[in-house]
Amino acid sequence: MKLAYLQHEHHEFRDAAADAMADAQLQGVLGRLADTLGVRNREAWEDFADSAATRERARRIKDATLADLDKHLETLERSVTRLGGRVHWCDDGAAAREAILGILRQCGAKKIVKSKSMTTEEIHLNPALVEAGIETVETDFGEYIIQVAGHRPSHIVGPALHLNAKQVAEVLSPVAGETLSSDREELTRFARRALRSKFAEADAGITGVNFAVAETGTIVLVSNEGNARFTTALPRVHIAIMGMEKVIPRLADLPVFLKVLARGATGQKLSVYTSLITGPRRMGELDGPEEFHLVILDNGRSRILGGPLRESLFCIRCGACLNACPIYRNVGGHAYGGTYSGPIGAVLTPLYDGLSQNHHLPHASSLCGACQAACPVKIQIPEMLIRLREQLHHEPRALGRVERWAYGIWARAMRSPRLYRAGTWLATRTLGRLKRSTRWLTKLPGGLGGWTRTRDFPAPAERRFRDWWSAGAGDWGLGAGEGASPASKEPFDHA
Amino acid sequence: MSREAYLARVRDATQAGRAYRIEPRGEVTPTTGYVGGGDDLCARFAAEANAVGGTAVVVRSFDEARAELAKVLRARRAESAFVWRHDVLDRLGLAGLLAELSVAALDPGALAKMPRDTRRATILTADIGITSADYGIAETGTLAMFARPEQPRLASLAPPCHVAILERRQILPDLFDLFAALDEAGTTAGAPHKVPSNLTFITGPSKTGDIELQLTTGVHGPGDWRVIVVDG
Repeated sequence: MKLAYLQHEHHEFRDAAADAMADAQLQGVLGRLADTLGVRNREAWEDFADSAATRERARRIKDATLADLDKHLETLERSVTRLGGRVHWCDDGAAAREAILGILRQCGAKKIVKSKSMTTEEIHLNPALVEAGIETVETDFGEYIIQVAGHRPSHIVGPALHLNAKQVAEVLSPVAGETLSSDREELTRFARRALRSKFAEADAGITGVNFAVAETGTIVLVSNEGNARFTTALPRVHIAIMGMEKVIPRLADLPVFLKVLARGATGQKLSVYTSLITGPRRMGELDGPEEFHLVILDNGRSRILGGPLRESLFCIRCGACLNACPIYRNVGGHAYGGTYSGPIGAVLTPLYDGLSQNHHLPHASSLCGACQAACPVKIQIPEMLIRLREQLHHEPRALGRVERWAYGIWARAMRSPRLYRAGTWLATRTLGRLKRSTRWLTKLPGGLGGWTRTRDFPAPAERRFRDWWSAGAGDWGLGAGEGASPASKEPFDHA
Repeated sequence: MSREAYLARVRDATQAGRAYRIEPRGEVTPTTGYVGGGDDLCARFAAEANAVGGTAVVVRSFDEARAELAKVLRARRAESAFVWRHDVLDRLGLAGLLAELSVAALDPGALAKMPRDTRRATILTADIGITSADYGIAETGTLAMFARPEQPRLASLAPPCHVAILERRQILPDLFDLFAALDEAGTTAGAPHKVPSNLTFITGPSKTGDIELQLTTGVHGPGDWRVIVVDG
């Protein structure tokens, strides 16, 4: 796959997807996704007796929280402040970067460690830190690998999923100053050693937030490696950044989410480490930060909160929809071009980054519904993609001229019985003739050929329904003389 | 000031968003998602902890527990142990055992007296971490650790091996029970100090799947994770 796609955000889904499909190594790695994370996630839902109801419960808590989001955020601020922490309200990425750099300047931080946070990817924090001369080290193993490689994350929970062991060894060997083998254990041992000293030297730790509990000012961090714990135990300052939708009202809501998050992310009953962090360290404690800052990011979320795609704010960033998606499993994360990939990325990127420049993304789905079935909060992703497709139609720039013209004619015809009649008459006499042995046309002529380049077109019948109907088939050809029952006179009754 | 503008914007959006609330489907109760730990909490805890890649044993007495721990210390040739001060460990006779096996005990009291840099270096090079826990959760084989001056966070994280000693009375059936216990302790709105500065749930050895989705243990935290459950 072209290096530029791995390194930079882009708006070239089609080219990048084609590139990804032609990349044998990437296909090898992606091929494993369905049999590993995909299966584990599905089995986790099957083995959990209350699965459907628990996910519904999580979903309702999200919905109720968003219905009073302003109040919960103010409560969260009050709780954090009462504990001696500081809250920073940031309108967008630039404001959040500025706030974080300000905190680091104030405490004289020269070196920082980070634990995995998609929100910091969203605001492009790392380049800003490096530019300010601050040594920035990602400590999640996958994030560390891609930081050294200079890549963007390709999966919400498995950022280095696009690389195989041999490639990882090639990436890390120059840092190690020796040739590492492609043995996973050896690579892991190297990372453990290299990152220990970084934790010990860091002046500040930066993390994301999985959940923030309003009533207690608690932020929750979930990880399997333990790097989030080090990041919040050793450095003197802890800065956590959250999208404002991460707040939940009560501590009692948390077990519901922890149970569904772990199952969605990796098929575990609980992740290895879940830390509930409530303010800085207290009197007499040996570890934990002395200073705690919470950055609450808007960056377009309030715009979405008041609209029909509000439900996208339910997302708890587990990655289950990526593992379930037949598109993601073929093209991988980098093809999507934005911070978030997969089905949820196809919703979020157009919402946050603009629909017309990301017009391919709502179409990067077969609407099979596997994403919604896998989602721990049952987000109706297919419905949202359809809504985005509809919106695209109202953004003239996003459609080609031919396409706009074709849909225009279609819409006119569907509204007028006379035109519709004429249209179907024409279709049976033109396209209907192209039909060979199957019910599908594999090649349309001329300018329509674009449709059949990647999929078949259903062949019109040789005879129109209305012709068949008026020729007497309306009697259903049922047993002579008996006549149909009244109910079955309804032509669209499937019973 | 931007805070006011920010919150005003969120307030308006929150109002507008209420037109798009979801339709509830199916029934949900306060116990939805509760799994529980079955009849024998100790056995269930150990089975789950083993299933996630840990090594858990159930023993009948503190004497047996001490013997188990001694085996681990010898097998790992531990020279230094980062330990909690805890009632369960006192009853186990941990200090005596460590002295007997000539393992240096790094307890919070001793560590607190060291200068910051020495302390950090000492903590990061300890051979084993020995703790109890505030609770065990049978449903998932999880330890719940509250941070306090006598119970530092890093004892269960920094060493390559972590052993926790747990008594039957500490084991709760389900994660929900732990949050109910917290609630009884008075963690309602306006009293954040009732929650510890750090409460960590540990379920298994440190893991990563970052290379080819294959499981590797011990990436940052302990790769060797053990629980000795005293059922007696």
